[in-house]
Amino acid sequence: MTLVLRDAAVNLRGMPLTRPLIRPFSVSVQPGEILTIMGPSGSGKSALLSWIGGDLPGAMQGAGEVLLNGVNVIGVPPERRRIGRLFQDDYLFPHMTVGENLLFAIPAARREVRLEMMQQALADAGLDGYADRAPQTLSGGQRARVALMRTLLSGPAAVLLDEPFSRLDQDLRSTIRSFTSDHIRDRQVPAILVTHDRADVPPGGRVLAISAQGDMHHV
Amino acid sequence: MRTLATLPLAVVLLLPLLASLLFIMPGVADLDSFRALAEHPQFWGALALSLATGLTSTAVSLVLALVMIFAARGKNLSSRAGLFLAVPHVSFAIGLAFLIMPAGLLARAVALAAGWTMPPQWVTTQDPWGLALTVALVLKETPFLVWTFANLLAREDLAAGFAGQRAVARSLGHGEASTFLRVIVPQLLPQALGPLIAVLAYGMTVVDMALVIGPTQPPTLAQLAWTGLSDAESATAARGAAGVLVLCAVVAAILAAASVVLKCSRPHLHRFYAASPRPGEGLGGAAQLLWPALLAVYVAVAAVMLLQSAAAQWPFPDLLPNVSTLRAWTHLLSDPRPVMTSVVLALSTTACAIAATVIWLELAPRAMDRVMTMCALTAVTVPMLLIALGEYRAFLALDLTGTAVALWTAHAVPVCAYVFLLLARPYRAYGTQWAAVAAGLQQGRARFLWRVKWPMLKGPMWAAAAVGFAVSVGQYVPAQLAAAGRFSTLPMEAVTLSSGGNRPLLAVYGIALMALPLGAFLFAARAGRSRWSTP
Repeated sequence: MTLVLRDAAVNLRGMPLTRPLIRPFSVSVQPGEILTIMGPSGSGKSALLSWIGGDLPGAMQGAGEVLLNGVNVIGVPPERRRIGRLFQDDYLFPHMTVGENLLFAIPAARREVRLEMMQQALADAGLDGYADRAPQTLSGGQRARVALMRTLLSGPAAVLLDEPFSRLDQDLRSTIRSFTSDHIRDRQVPAILVTHDRADVPPGGRVLAISAQGDMHHV
Repeated sequence: MRTLATLPLAVVLLLPLLASLLFIMPGVADLDSFRALAEHPQFWGALALSLATGLTSTAVSLVLALVMIFAARGKNLSSRAGLFLAVPHVSFAIGLAFLIMPAGLLARAVALAAGWTMPPQWVTTQDPWGLALTVALVLKETPFLVWTFANLLAREDLAAGFAGQRAVARSLGHGEASTFLRVIVPQLLPQALGPLIAVLAYGMTVVDMALVIGPTQPPTLAQLAWTGLSDAESATAARGAAGVLVLCAVVAAILAAASVVLKCSRPHLHRFYAASPRPGEGLGGAAQLLWPALLAVYVAVAAVMLLQSAAAQWPFPDLLPNVSTLRAWTHLLSDPRPVMTSVVLALSTTACAIAATVIWLELAPRAMDRVMTMCALTAVTVPMLLIALGEYRAFLALDLTGTAVALWTAHAVPVCAYVFLLLARPYRAYGTQWAAVAAGLQQGRARFLWRVKWPMLKGPMWAAAAVGFAVSVGQYVPAQLAAAGRFSTLPMEAVTLSSGGNRPLLAVYGIALMALPLGAFLFAARAGRSRWSTP
């Protein structure tokens, strides 16, 4: 799986003029790679991810193409794009147990198979025996790991990470960062990470930065 | 000082409520009246009708409201739903009856297309199955639930979480419908428990609407109890009181049964939540039309009342009256007492409720909020029939029946409850930093309140006032009991007229009853608007 952005741009709709937030740029993200996009708040980097994921608010407008293995997904509803999302907040559903949160993401299969996948994911996250716990009883780091596992269980063709580490305690961040990049590399999923924290950039990873004029350039 | 500030609201809300519940108690031990009730030939039929209309209307309203919220796709419907709420139940029932009765506007429209020359023979209002009452309840309760859900979805502390969870669910492969049913609804419904209970309790115990459009042979249990209560003979009145108690016990039993059913179905529910992603689209275009259709019904209800109010002669199947008159309107103007009584009561109780609530929220210890919230929730969820019965007994014991004090108190209790419930959250959420800023500018507390805090809170304050006004104008049951025939308000006149034959006059009262709260809502929306909002 490769994720390609071709002439991607984000504009802020306005009267009378539409103002460009991110000017057209193209990039290709390889399987297992995490591409980092950096920019100050308000630079449109979260909006770029929303556009790729398919839920850009009406005040903004995207342009260009998002190609997953050569197929443009613009115009496809978000649930059919197979693009996983992680946010600052883990958004674990509070009315479901940890196990149910994971099952919610597992595609249709025999019940035993789905349960087995859920248990395996918990084991991978070092959370054996947590299936019946309420998400509210988990620590921040545990919740972050469940959220990542949930996204990966849905079998995404690409993953978008919207500052997923910024709410975590300082001492937890590096553990969760490497946990995240390890799993994304293992599954050979292309990923885009947006952040304003240099420390979030995975070792040796490519970085794009948004200039004040909205131009995207390599760092 | 701080405890003293709890007094105004305690006197107008807590005290009457406690007195009411206290004076209900002796009736519970009056076994003879329960026996008399059970032996009444219409009792079982009436109970069945109450169950059917109450449960059906609640279930249908809930489903319709959820479908409308889903179809709105995140558009906030709360401000528009608020206008529907302003229409009093009695007024709506009168207009709906004019619309659906055999010679009503609906039948005339069909007649025009189908070539009928005579009104159809079927019974469409006061039908023996309570269908007209159920439809009226559904049309009135659905916008209330839509308003409740829309407000919850827009609430600052919930909205961001819902938006994020929705984005995550869809990125995991769940379509809009699946996301709504598995993620949003299970979190929305527990938050709306109070309003849902209120809808059920209202549907099972409604009197005024049932008197206008409900079945008569037998009536619903609420009507049966009501006619008993108003009887001069004490045994009959006691039987009516027993009917009220049985009805409330049935409501309580249904709630208990519902909670057991919910508990037992938990495993199934959770298996449903944890089901695999379904990208399906869900509802089609028809769902989008439900909300405009509801609006159309309300417009039609208002329009038919206007037509009927001016109709001197209106032969079937003409769509418009062929002789019009303003006699009914001049009649209303020649005896303005019911209108004036309603307006004075609504203005005074609302002003008092706003003042008492603000005094409470500004000065009373925060720890006591829970008590008042519980008290206000009791006043709006416990059937009004029960509270009114207790108040009536208390007024009798204090020899206050038929006095202005009794009438005013009967109106003030629900008004204060609604105003408190609506104002408490925005008032408590007001940031403390503003007071600090004002104090830093050497401004006293009074100046801070008048010049900073209240102007900033004028939106929710005017909105609460509009609801208070509408609640007061719509009161029938407690008002009728407390007035004991010595006062007349708009809903009392309207209900009395509904059993007579003067349709234009009934329509005029229906319109007046609708116009007052609608006017209050429009005025409040204007007055409460931020000075920076675009017109």
